[in-house]
Formats: sequence, structure tokens, C-alpha cells
Amino acid sequence: MSQEFIRLKNSFLFKGLPDAVLEALVQKVIRRTFYEGEALMRRGEDGDALYIIDQGSVKIVTVDKEGGELVLNHCGPGEAIGEMSLFDKEPRSAGVIALEETHALELKQDAFFELLNQRPDLALNFIRSFSARLRFSSTYIQKAIEWSKKIAEGDYSFMEQFHTGQTGQFKADTDDDKAGQLLSAFFNMVKGVRAREENLKLQVETLTLQIDEVRRRQEFEELTSTDFYAALKEKAQAIRQQRSDKK
Amino acid sequence: MGKIVSIHSFRGGTGKSNTTANLASQVAMTGKRVGVVDTDIQSPGIHVLFGLDETSMGKTLNDFLYGKCEIAEVAYPVGDYAAAAKESAPGRAQLAGKDLFLIPSSIRGREISRVLREGYDVGRLNEGFQTLIQNINLDYLFIDTHPGLNEETLLSIAISDILLLILRPDNQDFQGTAVTVDIARSLDVSNLLLMVNKAVPNKYTYENLKTQIETAYKAPLTGILPLSFDMADNASKDIFSLRYPDHDWSKELRKVAQAVMDTN
Repeated sequence: MSQEFIRLKNSFLFKGLPDAVLEALVQKVIRRTFYEGEALMRRGEDGDALYIIDQGSVKIVTVDKEGGELVLNHCGPGEAIGEMSLFDKEPRSAGVIALEETHALELKQDAFFELLNQRPDLALNFIRSFSARLRFSSTYIQKAIEWSKKIAEGDYSFMEQFHTGQTGQFKADTDDDKAGQLLSAFFNMVKGVRAREENLKLQVETLTLQIDEVRRRQEFEELTSTDFYAALKEKAQAIRQQRSDKK
Repeated sequence: MGKIVSIHSFRGGTGKSNTTANLASQVAMTGKRVGVVDTDIQSPGIHVLFGLDETSMGKTLNDFLYGKCEIAEVAYPVGDYAAAAKESAPGRAQLAGKDLFLIPSSIRGREISRVLREGYDVGRLNEGFQTLIQNINLDYLFIDTHPGLNEETLLSIAISDILLLILRPDNQDFQGTAVTVDIARSLDVSNLLLMVNKAVPNKYTYENLKTQIETAYKAPLTGILPLSFDMADNASKDIFSLRYPDHDWSKELRKVAQAVMDTN
């Protein structure tokens, strides 16, 4: 078995395909090498090929409002990039740049379509794969909406459930699926919001009484050093005496 | 012999007049004979809560202070006319038949400016208090004071049996209250009570605030009353704690009233 065969068999996009189909696929891919900083694809270009990374790593980038580079994600061995372009010819939504010397398997749309004509089971496999990913994403979105509502209400209890693994299939530590990464980012955001909230709560709760003792003494002495005060104090004592005599 | 209860705060805006009116009302509701004197002559306000306005106000504390009448002549029996306001002020209406007397301060500009210009004889004010207690046979005489520590206020503090200091939970009030507490001790006021008003709900730990205040001033904190929009909405027209007895503000106020009545 060739290195390409193993890579395709283990990739998320093609796993589960019969060996015979994978063999046919191997014939269609071209092995390509990109050097550090070299672009695999540029934002806005027509997309006509997908890449499966064999060795190395890449970053997926777009431009922010100020025109600077905004890194959306990092991808490594086994991950597919630009798979949507196998079915449409929309311009690339983001650019992909090699972070180091990267070896990738390139599959052109024409070659892929040719193969689909020969092997309809490949098409079925793709539909299944996309459908599963769609379902997966929808569940995540649904969960994210549910959790967002809880966060708005200040209820963070689902975080504990998540950490003890009771949310079942939602594992954020799997790097190989994008939904998992989204989830991971989501949870980090919640952690940040929660920490800020706790910190703020702590600040208000520990409101401390601050009395400037020097000023307190000074003001007291100023008020009590007058003749009026001395007379008042004497008078108050007399009044008190008078009143207690009446009781 | 009736007790003199002075309600005071170092700074204005603590809700002093409102608290005084509510405390006096709560005590009167238990059947006690209660008087309320508005000695905040520079900026009178408590009369509104008891339904008095310029047209219904005849002689005032100012007339007594300048020797124009006797003190008993300016004591308005709130219980006699409270029922009339059943619809506009259902809280106050509950005071109908109760022994509550208000001694208002003049709201006429000319008379206020005379006080500011000439001052008045604090000795005569004190005589007035003593006469009131005896002649109307009061159990409690509540004094709504002017904020700060001017001479008239010092007199009220000096002759009180109970001094209730109102503060808001902020450092400016903490500082001013500290000086007031020292003055009260120096004047041998035997019963010093504290009350926090306008506390933002859920912002402070009740126990923490209580411990800090009681440690700093060595006097009991009798209630922490919340800052309330409902209270602001009442716009000083009615006796809030009688109109909304189940409100958190009213519940805490009743604790303060109880503390006043429990003081010997």
C-alpha cells in the first residue's frame, strides 16, 4: 500500500470507502510540496481542487477590516482543505498558507468528476459524509443556541456537565473536526465571561468601609472646640437631668 | 416621659424625611402617641408625605420660634384628616384615628429666608419639644433634622434619647457618619442606632456590611433598606410602608421601627 493510499484511507473525507475505490482515487491525486509561507490557495481565486495534507501544517487566513491578516484556523495531516470546490466553482472564501514545508495530495475537480462517473458508490459515500457533517453541525448550532440562552440568564451549569462528559458526543478536544473547534472556542468564551462576572461580583461584595481617621479627628476637634459646643454640652446635661427628675 | 428620637444623616439625599415619616407612622399604628417635628427649616419637606400643602398649612414651627404662637397651636392631628385621602394616599389613610401629630416648618420663602438670615433661638426650640411631649402626652417625638452638623442639629442630637443615623453605602457617607457618631458620643447620647438606605439590591453581602458598620461605629445596624424605583415612583405622596407593606423596603423599615420601640 502506498503512502497516498494510507493517507486517503485515514482522512475524514474518504474514510469508509472500499479499497478498490481508494486505489482509483490514488491514481487521480498529485503529490505537491509547498514551502514555508507559500500559498496553497488565495482568497478570491477560482477553486478547482481540494488538498489533503499529508505532512506539515497550514494556516487558513482572511483579511480583517483594517486589511490585516486574520488567522481563522490551523490544519495538519489528514485534514482536507477546499473540499467544497469539488462540487462548485465558487471563488475561495479564504487563503491557505503553508506554515512549514508541507506535503499535500491535490485532487482536481475534473479528475474527481471522471472518477464519479466510473464509481457511483463514491458519490453515495460523499453524500453520506456531507450529510453526517451537516447533521453534526446542526446539532452543534442547536446546542450553541440553547447554551447562549443559558449564558444570558447567568446559568453556567451546562459547563460542569460538559467537563464531566455528560454531554455525550460533544468533545471539544478533537482537533480534527471544525465543529469541535467551534465548540472549544465557545467554551473558552463562556469561561472568560464567567471569570469576568465572578471577578466583578467579588469587587462589589468586598466594598470596604474606608474612614480617614486623621480627618475624622480633625473634624471632631473643629466642631467641639467652640464656645457654642461647650455651652451646648452643659445645657444638654442639664436638660437630661431635668427630664430624668420628672420621670 | 416621652422619648425624643432624632433622625439624622451627615449628607442630604439619604431619604431622611421619608424614613422619618414612615417610622413615625409605623409607631403610631401600634397605638403609640407620636409627634413629628420638621426642623429641616432650610428645606422643609416632610409635610407633603402627611398631605399638607401651602393652602392647608396655617401656623408653623417658624411662628413658634419667633414667639408668635404656642407650640401646641402648630401641631396638626394627622389622624383627624388622613381618611379624607383614601383614594389619593391609601397608605396615609390607614392613620385615620391614630394619634400622630405633625409640627411642620414653613414653606413660605420669606419665612425660610428669615431663618437663614437671623437664625433662631435653639433654647426656645428645645422648650417647644419638652412642652409638646408634656401637653400632647407623647410617647415618641420624632425630629427630622437638617443634614450636616450645624448648631440647630447639634442641639437636636444633644437632647435626643435615641439618635438614628441614616447612611448610604458609600465612603463619603461612611466618613461623615464617623464624625457624627463621635459627636453623639461626646454629647452623651445614650442610644445610637444606624440604618442604611438606598442599598443597591444584591450588590452587597448583608452580613459583611453589617459587620463592617457595627465594628466601625460600635452601634447596632437596625436595617438595610434597598434602593427602590417603586419608592421613587411614589414621589413623596404617600406613606410608602403603609401602602406597600410587603415591599422589601417596608419590611426593613419595620425592623428599624421595632428597634426604636425596643430601645429603653
